[in-house]
Amino acid sequence: MRSNDKITGLVTVTFGVLVITNSRGLNNLPQQDYGAGTFPIVIGGLLIAFGGLLALRGLSSRAPLMVWVNEVPIKRFYLTLLAIVSAIVAYILLVPVLGFPIVSTALLCLLLYGFYRQNWTLAACTAIASTAVIWVVFGRLLQVPLELGILEEVVY
Amino acid sequence: MDSFLAATTLVFTWEVMLIIVSASIFGLFMGAIPGLTATMATALLVPATFFLEPLPAIAAIVSATAMAIVAGDLPGALLRMPGTPASAVYTDEAYLMGKQGKIGVALGLNIVCSMIGGIIGVICLAMVGPLIADFAIKFTSDEYFWLALLGLSCAILVSGGDRLKGAISMFVGLAISMVGMDSVSGQARFTLGSYDLLAGISILPVLIGLFAISELIRRMPETNNPHQEVQMRVKKPFSGTAPLLWKYKFGVARSGVLGTMIGALPGAGADIASWISYAIARKLSRSPEKFGTGHPEGLISASSANNASLSGAYIPALVFGIPGDAITAIIIGVLMTKGITPGPDVFVSEAPLVNAIFLSFIIANLLLLPLGFIAIKGARHILSVPSGVLFPLILIFCMVGAYAANNSMFDIWIMLAFGLLGFVMAENDFPLGPLILAVILGPIIESNFMRSIIKANGDLTAFVDRPIAITLAVAATLIWGMIMANSISFRRTNSRLPFSQ
Repeated sequence: MRSNDKITGLVTVTFGVLVITNSRGLNNLPQQDYGAGTFPIVIGGLLIAFGGLLALRGLSSRAPLMVWVNEVPIKRFYLTLLAIVSAIVAYILLVPVLGFPIVSTALLCLLLYGFYRQNWTLAACTAIASTAVIWVVFGRLLQVPLELGILEEVVY
Repeated sequence: MDSFLAATTLVFTWEVMLIIVSASIFGLFMGAIPGLTATMATALLVPATFFLEPLPAIAAIVSATAMAIVAGDLPGALLRMPGTPASAVYTDEAYLMGKQGKIGVALGLNIVCSMIGGIIGVICLAMVGPLIADFAIKFTSDEYFWLALLGLSCAILVSGGDRLKGAISMFVGLAISMVGMDSVSGQARFTLGSYDLLAGISILPVLIGLFAISELIRRMPETNNPHQEVQMRVKKPFSGTAPLLWKYKFGVARSGVLGTMIGALPGAGADIASWISYAIARKLSRSPEKFGTGHPEGLISASSANNASLSGAYIPALVFGIPGDAITAIIIGVLMTKGITPGPDVFVSEAPLVNAIFLSFIIANLLLLPLGFIAIKGARHILSVPSGVLFPLILIFCMVGAYAANNSMFDIWIMLAFGLLGFVMAENDFPLGPLILAVILGPIIESNFMRSIIKANGDLTAFVDRPIAITLAVAATLIWGMIMANSISFRRTNSRLPFSQ
């Protein structure tokens, strides 16, 4: 999704204003005119200046405010984006409860079926094998504490 | 000599050698899949490097990136689809050579020239690095402030495209780098009351988000597109490469040195090195009309340059602690987590480690020959892995990787946020290079600025009262002048287009 420079410029200006607003309460160093807020205020000011330039450029352009310029249909893009975001959010929320092995296998199975469109058996086998490999590499070899969740009682 | 011997004992251990080979195979796979870049390979490799000693960690990244760049040539030559941006410039040349029945020569030249270019780059790095480090040892916080600012400014200038958007990308990165506790006063900034943000935003989820998740968002919707079969068969890789190499030996050497120099510029990566080398080879060629028709001269130059630039990027990274590109930004992050701060002192205090890094570069480049041969032979199998299978696996790998750095689920939220930000920015032609460099260099710029200003009791002229500092300040000012001039001229030339290109 491409936006006109007017939009991106205004977003940049807004971001700059937010940076400055949030920096104003920061105290200076004792007996100095500088402190923790100095750099953020400079950066915020530059974001406003450069964002303003970009917005000005957008004003002289005839481009639409927003346009989809990809070969892939927009509906497919939104569905894929939803799948990716949902998978990440589900991972964050479910792993502490159900554990990595169950969540990873389930998510992979759904994603593999959704994107490869073969059959559930192939998706499930690939998901189980891949989860096992990740578990061994990260959980065992690299000692990353991947959570077991409800499986903890089963394993230990 | 003692430090060189110490370096050999560090490198020639079964652990380091095994890691180099494994990382090369990983890089080979990542580079060969169109759309997966060397930077993405590095970002995915970093979680594993956190658990390694400094040398194997860096050797893994060096090997994976060198191999990924070379492997990117395979889909280019066989399918006319560049595997990485660094191989895009000569994709047509290699593919057309294949159509003429010279696919073995094209791929053989890619691999051999990459190896030679890489080794030229290491030699330049080993020779120039210590000399610059000797000079840089005199630098104070004033010079480091200007140098970091100069590095960021260069990153905008050479990142290509719209400099105004490059500058905005850099400021966004600087703002992100300020999240967390201020290093001088200890005040919390932009933490939104979150305890997780007090220590700042961890670099690893930012990298994975910007370079892997945003790429997945872009690529995953295309997974149902018809799969391209590899039609060409590579029967004799490397046959016929020696006479061509001899014929264009000066082109290989020139591009190796040029690639190293371009790589040393902050923000200019392997892709820019290969484009410039190709353009120069065409300009200096006796038969420029043959370029673009399956002629090996441009391919030879660009292949040498893109791998040499990888070594070149380590010059500012090791000497000043200022990354030349996203990959060296990751390397600096990895070294710092191991308690090693890159800078001129590292050439004295960690001399065996520095020499061991050079050695691992040479080994990684020499490995390109046998692994490249295997890659050519197995190219059809590597390229036949369906993206519908690969992308979900990478997504899970990204989540585990982002979590692994701090064992924190919060980092996965950060990864998601930066994935979406990276996608929106890339869709609107905002380069991501200046952003990631700014996230890394932001604290360096700010802490050196604050140190100098406290030292000078608030007197701003103290920033330019030393000869090196004033030289760097003038250079930074000139570059900002060029950025502004380019932004204005870009506006004029693109005002008639529906969208700026």
